This record gives sequence, structure tokens and C-alpha cells, in this order.
Amino acid sequence: MTAARNAIELKEVSLSFGSNQILTGIDMRVEPGEFICVIGASGSGKTTLLRMIAGLLTPTSGAVLLHGKPVRSPSRRVAVVFQDYGRALLPWRRAYANVSLPLEAGGMPASQRPARIRELLAKVGLGNHEDKFPGQLSGGMQQRLQIARALAQEPDTLLMDEPFGALDAMTRQTLQDEVLRLVSERKTTVFFVTHDIEEALYLGDRVVALDSNPGRVAYDIKVPLPRPRDQLTTREHPEFLRLRREMFEIMNKIHA
Amino acid sequence: MIRSRTLDIVLGVAGILILLGLWHLVTSYELISRVFLPGPAATFRSLERGIVEGALLPQTWATIERMLQGWLLASVVAIAIGSLIGVSSTARAYLQPTLEFLRPLPASAIIPVAIAVVGLSWKMVLFVVVFGSVWPTLLATVHGFAHVEPRLVEVSRLLQMSRLAFIFKIGLPNAVPDILAGMRLSLTVALILAVVGELLTGELGLGTAVLHASRQYRADDLYAGIILLGVIGLVSNYGLALADKRILAWKG
Ligand SMILES: Nc1ncnc2c1ncn2[C@@H]1O[C@H](COP(=O)(O)OP(=O)(O)O)[C@@H](O)[C@H]1O
Ligand SMILES: [Mg+2]
Repeated sequence: MTAARNAIELKEVSLSFGSNQILTGIDMRVEPGEFICVIGASGSGKTTLLRMIAGLLTPTSGAVLLHGKPVRSPSRRVAVVFQDYGRALLPWRRAYANVSLPLEAGGMPASQRPARIRELLAKVGLGNHEDKFPGQLSGGMQQRLQIARALAQEPDTLLMDEPFGALDAMTRQTLQDEVLRLVSERKTTVFFVTHDIEEALYLGDRVVALDSNPGRVAYDIKVPLPRPRDQLTTREHPEFLRLRREMFEIMNKIHA
Repeated sequence: MIRSRTLDIVLGVAGILILLGLWHLVTSYELISRVFLPGPAATFRSLERGIVEGALLPQTWATIERMLQGWLLASVVAIAIGSLIGVSSTARAYLQPTLEFLRPLPASAIIPVAIAVVGLSWKMVLFVVVFGSVWPTLLATVHGFAHVEPRLVEVSRLLQMSRLAFIFKIGLPNAVPDILAGMRLSLTVALILAVVGELLTGELGLGTAVLHASRQYRADDLYAGIILLGVIGLVSNYGLALADKRILAWKG
């Protein structure tokens, strides 16, 4: 239909757990290379939505398409970064071997792995920590490691579920910039879940707000802020301030 | 306050010395007849004869070999079967009750069965050692597999890992702490059953050596044998504790 196929397309997607309607009538299109942020109150179904796109959950009705193909099960073209890095990493594998996991799963010959792993670790600033176990790394470093593992899949779609929610403000800003830099290098499509309005505006090309009970799309706004984004100038940009105000009002209306 | 390691060692050695002192007192005042309890000096002379002069060495090695053989075989069987059961929640549902029924069955109850099936031979001993010591490791392996972090199961699905890859890359490493704990219990059981098996079959070993010493009223040799068995248990357990520490370095 469209010239460039949508990277992610949700058509009238609904999901119930038993008699409990979680999401209803979700329509959403994400273009290749687009950075989309989804915000919504806790329990509005953001994680559930992400899990459907990942192929971990099947919608009760409607369709989830990636590059025009219906999602039936997970694919290595799609990578997920979870908020709880402490559980998502393999605690018995050193940083190096954690990044190796997707390469092993993808069948990369063992001889080609070391260079790739070291390149990825260097990219996320963990070049000097390859021999550490996740338990020996700080929260921010563990999340960097999870990001490196996701990038090892060379995904064309990256799904991130409140990845920085558990980190302190300084670390969060650093990681926001790192993610922007890493995904712009590869033109990766990003589906980024957060409950932080400023984070959504700072990162996204678009912000989708979910209404709760049952979860549905309340607003979908473009963020026409120039790139590359900058923690100081972007956040002081009049358009950023205007959008932030608008989003706050939207969220207040939703939760009223 | 945390007591220092050195202090712990000093206390441990002091405990042994106190026990030896009591032993010495009890026997030198003949509170118990020397026929039944020889003094520490006589016992250690016998130990010296046994180890340094080599009289007990073949028996000691035979028992250690029997214990290790049975234990290693039991561990391999337990980890393999435990992984297969543990990785499937259906298999767990089917088999867990059966396992829980078989586990507390005293291994001695299986001895008549083993004798009937393989005869009164070294094979019977091996069978009993394996049967008795397989349970702790088997159940620990199943438990370890059953308690994989759900997030990691999702990670394996997202990476489209095969069931085999899941077992080797996630299930098994996740179960390793449980498996090691199970293997330590199994080793103790294996030593006990190796000795019981020797007593029944008369095969060369410390168990038979102790039995002969007792029949011939050689109390010093009897206690020397018992001490050696204790030392085997102690050393093997300590060795496994060291291995645990190395293997579980990631636990920090
Ligand atoms: N596996 C499940 N079974 C039943 N209910 C669930 C399950 N997962 C999530 N829910 C419910 O779905 C709703 C949305 O959850 P979630 O997608 O995690 O929201 P969010 O990520 O926006 O906080 C919640 O009310 C939650 O209790
Ligand atoms: Mg969530």
C-alpha cells in the first residue's frame, strides 16, 4: 500500500487476559528508522503492547505486522531491552560472554565473535570491563551491557521497556544520549516505553500517549525538534517547552 | 563482629585437641576397656602402620575408588536425567511425585533387590552406591531447572534459542549452584554406601578392614579404619567446597 513499508504496524489490536480487557483498538504505524516513544500511566498496558510487538504475546484480536509480515513468534531482527537489567542478564556469564549470547544464537562462527564483541563493548563504554560479571557492575553499566547485547543482534527494530527507569538522573541522561547516537548510526527503528514525558520528548520523533482501563491510544504527536538532540539546548528549546506543557495537559486530562 | 578465619581454625584445632585429651583420659583410666576403646596413641600407631607402612593403603584406595566411581556415575546420570525432567514443566508434573517417593527410600532397602538382580558382587555395590547417591543431585538439578528467572526464558525465546541451546546456555548454568549442593550430599551418601556394600560383599576396602579388625579384637586397627573413613569424608567435602567457590565465583 504505502511505498515504504511500515517497520511496525498495529491494526485494531486488542488484548485480554481472561475477562480482563487490557488493550483495545490500538492502531499504530511506525516508519523505518523512526524513534517512537510510548507513555502512559503504570498499568495502562505499555509493557503488554511491547511484548506483542516482540512476539512474546499474541493479540486477542487484530494484527501486529513487522515490515508488512504478521508477527507469530519472536525474531532475532527485533531486540528487547528490559528495565530490570539485573534479571535480564546472565549472571554467570562475564560481560564479554553476555554479549556473545546473541552471536551464538545467531550462529556466528566462533572465530568472528571476539572482534565483534569487543567492538560492541567499546561502543557502550564497557571496553575495560569485559571480564566482570554483571553482579560486579553498577546499574548503569549493567544496562549498557544489556544494550550492547541487544545491538549484537543487529536488530532493525529495538524495543525498550522503561530502560532507564531504575537509574539515577545523571546516568539516565548519559544513556539517553548514547542510545540516540547508537540507533542513529544504524537507522534502527525504536519503540521506547517510558512514563517520563520529558524523556519521551527528548528522545522521540513521535510520542504516543496511552489512556488506561482499557489501554488505548489517546494522543499521537510529532516532535519536530532538531537532531542531534542536546541535553541543554533541546530541553530549553521553545518547541520542547511548548510540547512538554501540551503533554502535561494531555496526561492530566487522561488521568482526570 | 565477624570472627577471623584464623580464630576459626584455632578453635577447630582446639576442639580436636580437647577430644583427643578426653579420649586419652578415658582410656588411660580404663573407664572403657581397652578391648573396646584403645588409647589415641595405640590408634595412631596403627594408623601409621596402615598409611606410612602401607598396610591399609590398598583398602583405602579401594574404598575411595568405589565411592568416586559410584558418585561420578550417579552425578552424570542425575544431571542428565534431571535436566531432561527439569526443562519440561510437563515432565516435572508427571515425575516429581514419583521422585519424591523414591528419594526417601533408604538405599539399604534396595540392597536385596540389587543382590537379586546382579548378585553379591562389586556390581551390586556400584549399583547401590549409584542408586543411593543419585537422588540429592537429581532432585537438585530438577529444582535448579524449575527455577530459571522468567526473564531469561524470555531472552531465550527472543533469541530463538533451541531447546538444547537453552539447556546448555541457561538451564544448566542456572542449576549449577543447586547441582553442586546436591553433589556434596551425594558424595557423603556414596561413601556410606560404599562401606555398607563392602561389609555385605567382603570386597577389599576400609569397610571390610574395619569388620575384620573388630572380629579379631584389634581395636586399634578398628579405630584407625574409622578415622580414615572420617578423613576421606572430610577431605572430599572440603575439596568440593573449594570447587564450589571457584565455580560460583560469579555469585561474588
Ligand atoms: N500475564 C498477565 N496476566 C494477567 N494480567 C496481566 C498480565 N500481564 C499484565 N497484566 C495486567 O495488564 C495490565 C497492563 O500491564 P502492563 O502492560 O505491564 O502495564 P504498564 O507496562 O503500562 O505498566 C495491568 O493491569 C496488569 O496487571
Ligand atoms: Mg511496564
